[in-house]
Amino acid sequence: MTDQQRSVAIHVPVLARVEGEGALDLRIEDGDIAELRLRIFEPPRFFEKFLEGRHYTEIPDMVARICGICPVAYQVTAAQALEKLFGVELDPWARDMRRVFYCGEWIQSHSLHIHLLAAPDFFGCNNAIELARIAPEEVRRGLRIQALGNELMDLFGARSVHPVGVRIGGFHGAPSLARIQAMREKLRAALPEAEALIRWAAAIPMPQDDQAFVSVATHHPTDYAIERGQIAVSDGLRIEADAFDAHFAEQHVPHSTALFSTYHHQPYLVGPLARLNLNHVRLPEQVRALLTESGLALPSRNLFHSLLARAVEILLALHEALRLLDGYRVPDSPWVPVTPRAGVAIGCTEAPRGLLWHRYEMDGEGRVVNARIVPPTSQNQGRIEEDLRLSLLNFGLDHPDDALRLHCEKVIRNYDPCISCATHFLRFNLDRA
Amino acid sequence: MVVDALLSGGVQAGGETVIDKLDRPGSTLVSLLEQADWAILIDAIQGNGQPGTIRRFDQRDWPAYRGGLSSHGFGVLDALMLARELGSLPSRLDLYGIEIGSASPGEEARSEILAASAQLAQRIAADLADPIR
Repeated sequence: MTDQQRSVAIHVPVLARVEGEGALDLRIEDGDIAELRLRIFEPPRFFEKFLEGRHYTEIPDMVARICGICPVAYQVTAAQALEKLFGVELDPWARDMRRVFYCGEWIQSHSLHIHLLAAPDFFGCNNAIELARIAPEEVRRGLRIQALGNELMDLFGARSVHPVGVRIGGFHGAPSLARIQAMREKLRAALPEAEALIRWAAAIPMPQDDQAFVSVATHHPTDYAIERGQIAVSDGLRIEADAFDAHFAEQHVPHSTALFSTYHHQPYLVGPLARLNLNHVRLPEQVRALLTESGLALPSRNLFHSLLARAVEILLALHEALRLLDGYRVPDSPWVPVTPRAGVAIGCTEAPRGLLWHRYEMDGEGRVVNARIVPPTSQNQGRIEEDLRLSLLNFGLDHPDDALRLHCEKVIRNYDPCISCATHFLRFNLDRA
Repeated sequence: MVVDALLSGGVQAGGETVIDKLDRPGSTLVSLLEQADWAILIDAIQGNGQPGTIRRFDQRDWPAYRGGLSSHGFGVLDALMLARELGSLPSRLDLYGIEIGSASPGEEARSEILAASAQLAQRIAADLADPIR
């Protein structure tokens, strides 16, 4: 049998972990991809049902349980949606601190992904322990940056895993000036480390790839959008979060219990590279200068640039947190009163992994009638499948099975889906015709 | 439970001693270990032993690492392996596990587990009083 005639079936039975329990099926016949299916099962579907009948005061703590890595995204998106419906005008202090809180999550999530999940791929390592053998200083630096992000989340959330600080109308409490001053020192000390991280990430040899895809991210006229903004698409569309359903559709596909999202019937990308493609002009000058130095041309059509995009967003988040904590004052009250009202609440923010969209129908007593949550992982599923297909064809299907498997894993990990952890455990059922 | 038993037994944090309950520390355990000369780690374990069995693990008992690291499943062994690779393990590490058998969220701890926690707390208190033991 020649390579061109080789038939390969790769079946990954279970990618079992958190919001991305799933599997990957790949069958190659006669030198072409006959089947490629990424199957993910989305636990947030269950959360939508759990939320029904719950009072609005419970929602921030409940949605924080959806993800152990990005609970702030779920809390802030829910709060944004409900505050808009209830006509709540946040105190400027609370508005700024929501962004700072969110920056903590970006810092910890991105650093974790870069150092523990993605980077080992590009150094021929199976995991971060092997990477630590050849790049111990870089791994230590990554752990320090991640710990700082956790500390920032802890400052406003009382704990970094499933934090409890957010309430509708603001925060339950405000950190003291002394704690903020100590945090500012740490953030300032981390700046050169984050700059070094960008230089290191930019120097990692990445596979060359060139794919046409649609980028989607929130967009703000002055800020690099994180916790507020319109939804922007790389074809020029700008819409409010309320208009999401007019352009984006979720649909069931036979091979997955998860919903696949499409934009005008096509897959699309959300996440750091989509954000950088759409919003790089909103980066602070110091970050933009380093980005230019890195040589990354934007918009990028190579998903392997996602690792560098995360490094850039870590530096952005450090600068933003420092800027917003400058002149910090303890507010008279960290929250404003809220009066619930019936109606539909819609919000969207940028979770570390990409656009996160929430919709709540509320009754007059402030209880949830129904909820809908569209997480970034499900939005990226169609794009991951498309990317896998194009990347494998570009990579070449005649590589050994292990090389094909590793390449699939690398491609999937670029998106930092929650299944990225599980894809380390890929097991093959291989049939050759 | 062991921390509660230690505190109620009169062991005080302060000075050079830190007593902490960690909630799924993940990789942050590495940086915590890095700051310590002597660390005593206690975790619940589900093995083959009877609930309430106390086990102590020497580094020689650690299994060869075969899994990949995941963001969501980064456990104590993952952190210890990474800390060892980075040279961040304290010079003395006492690692204990208490068998808990099957457990469900919200379930009260069984009496044998409470007893084991109190027993382990006594042993640790004695170690702290006389580190050479």
